[in-house]
Amino acid sequence: MNDTSHHNANDPSPGLRARIGTFFFAEETPFGLALVRIVICVACLLVTMPRWIHSRELYSSDGAPTPLALNYGYPDLLPIPSAGLAVALMTILTFCCATACIGWCTRTSLAISAVLYTYLNLLDSISTMTKYSVITSHVLFLLAFSHCGAVWSIDAWLRRRRLGLPSPCSLANHPKFAAWPRRLIQILIGVVYFGASVTKMHTPAYFSGDQLWHWMITNVNNANPIGEWLTLYPAYLVVFAYLCVIWEILFLFLSWRGWGRVCMLAMGIGFHIMTTLTLGLYLFPITCVSTYFAFVNSEDVSVVAARLRRWKRRHGETWLPYFTAITGLPRAITGWTTRMLRPAGLRWIPASSLGVFGVLLTVVSLGAVEIEYRLDIYGERGPHGPLALKEIDPEVAQQMFAGSKRLREYDKLLAFDIGSSMFGGMITGVRDTFRYGESILAQCTLSPPHEDMWLECNLHDANNILIDRVGQIVVRSQLRGNFLYRACDALEPGTYYLVLRTGTQELTRRKIEILSSDEPRCRLNAN
Amino acid sequence: MIKRWLTGLGITAYLGTLLFGIVSHAANYQDGSHPSMYFIVWDMFCGWSAYENRTHIIGQGVSGKFYELSPGPWGDYQPYSNISRHHYDSFNQNPQTIAVNCLKHTAHEPMTRLYVVEEAWAKKYNLPDSLWQQRYSEPKEPYSYFHIRTVMTPEGQITGNTVPWLSYQTNFTVFDNPRLQRESQRSAPMFMVRPMSQSSSPSAN
Repeated sequence: MNDTSHHNANDPSPGLRARIGTFFFAEETPFGLALVRIVICVACLLVTMPRWIHSRELYSSDGAPTPLALNYGYPDLLPIPSAGLAVALMTILTFCCATACIGWCTRTSLAISAVLYTYLNLLDSISTMTKYSVITSHVLFLLAFSHCGAVWSIDAWLRRRRLGLPSPCSLANHPKFAAWPRRLIQILIGVVYFGASVTKMHTPAYFSGDQLWHWMITNVNNANPIGEWLTLYPAYLVVFAYLCVIWEILFLFLSWRGWGRVCMLAMGIGFHIMTTLTLGLYLFPITCVSTYFAFVNSEDVSVVAARLRRWKRRHGETWLPYFTAITGLPRAITGWTTRMLRPAGLRWIPASSLGVFGVLLTVVSLGAVEIEYRLDIYGERGPHGPLALKEIDPEVAQQMFAGSKRLREYDKLLAFDIGSSMFGGMITGVRDTFRYGESILAQCTLSPPHEDMWLECNLHDANNILIDRVGQIVVRSQLRGNFLYRACDALEPGTYYLVLRTGTQELTRRKIEILSSDEPRCRLNAN
Repeated sequence: MIKRWLTGLGITAYLGTLLFGIVSHAANYQDGSHPSMYFIVWDMFCGWSAYENRTHIIGQGVSGKFYELSPGPWGDYQPYSNISRHHYDSFNQNPQTIAVNCLKHTAHEPMTRLYVVEEAWAKKYNLPDSLWQQRYSEPKEPYSYFHIRTVMTPEGQITGNTVPWLSYQTNFTVFDNPRLQRESQRSAPMFMVRPMSQSSSPSAN
């Protein structure tokens, strides 16, 4: 039902109920949802295709499934399928993601995808189930209730053929439906970001930059060389941390219209690109950015379409011939399919479409089960029977069973930075040359866990003779100890060392140069 | 009209569920009570550690030799990066499933014991050499710590479990305190079980 039929568009003060009704039930062409459908299905395929070959091991009773419910104390919440069934389900999921992407039997494909994607993810908590897969489950579920297949899909093409309609010459000729599925996807991503900001507020180390620092020096997501490089400048991490939380909180409230929408989405894209570059995340950004297409409305599509037409008029003759192969592909496929069906007396109508979909799905699934069985993933049916276990080098095994050792002092040290200024609790102007009168800031960053420690930052001259000893207690809850020196003419110009020691041993040292200037005399040092 | 009412009901239910997830997460209320909570609690990147962890699932044969049980000899599965699947089992919930599956599909001598050994090293050693030289004045000499986490029978029955390596090290940082040691030794944990009692332990710690 069109909400606008109830309310006069010129009414200056529609009530809250009417505004909520308009927000959710205003009718529109589902261009945004169609884009979400296409991109989220591509993201799904990036997950399901590489994992298909491992279906037996990850999701079946003939492998090592790790149900998520086990972590919550519900070991038998979901049934574990047999190997053949697991492979069939994974194949059906992959097939349906592909068909949903192109918009063939869209609603059926999305409904099957939503159920199977969630079910299979729940069976493998350690390598398949993550928060991006949860977001994907939500989006597939919402899309299954929408009319996202009404545009830019095979279903739309079939519908036009069935009704004998020409291709829509304007955007206004496309069908219209209530906006609520698009609104729910928008709210979902806003809530995800808001929840993520709550998580960050629960994590004090996030705001000090320590959490980000440590995530950037691990490849547990994927390789992230830019993140590793950025750890040389930890003060930036504090800035990014605050910016990120502010953006995550504001997204839900500002991303609806005007410049707020542009800024929030642009910051979102920037944020997700940075998570790829600095944390090595790939699928999470693709999944989140796919939901951004829910913010695309009919006006946006009109604007882009007009620009495309203008570009085509100006440059089409030059560039379009290069794309003939791509633009002609859909027409070639449909022409070929129609020719194939004609001898059998079939036409592309919805019933035959669903029939072909069902037959193809069955054939592909059964074929996949057979292929997977013949591939003999575990190598049990080879000429020499099951494979032999790999023996561990006895020396390595001896190391493993040598008994747990206490942490080395050096491993408790994360960084020892010398500089002249601080920002966000971090040294910023990292350098090793100072003039008389300048402050020398030394910061020791420790890794948790560490006990209450006595830390000394001592000044040694070029001959390693101790000139000044300064120490402080760094309690177990602290990760940083700061020491302040002042370069002054009590020190001869030349080379010195700042030596960091615990109560028992030297951890590290940094070489500094002190240069003379006309500054007045000052105290040797201070802390 | 009924369709619109039903849609409105569905929208309200969905938004209510999302809201419950946020409140539950913010207030730490029931956020781990059921697997379904995983779908509405958005706690990405909630933890961190200064140490990189790897899990070794190994079996000891009757000959005394040790064998790698994950990845299996049929090939490795690396869901992200170049790290095998079993390393992502951060709560050590599933080593028996992985070990038993490997034994089930391979040829091997009889096993006496299966072990889960944690390996940990300071994450700073992950830095490439070029960045290491910019940040540290010492040569890069990575060092791994090993810690036996779980002991199992060849059937996967757990016979021994210890705290994770990080908790083990954290305990040291607190326990280097003579007063704390003295007091804790005076009250060693115990639970008196009456043979006829059907009741469970009153404490869970």
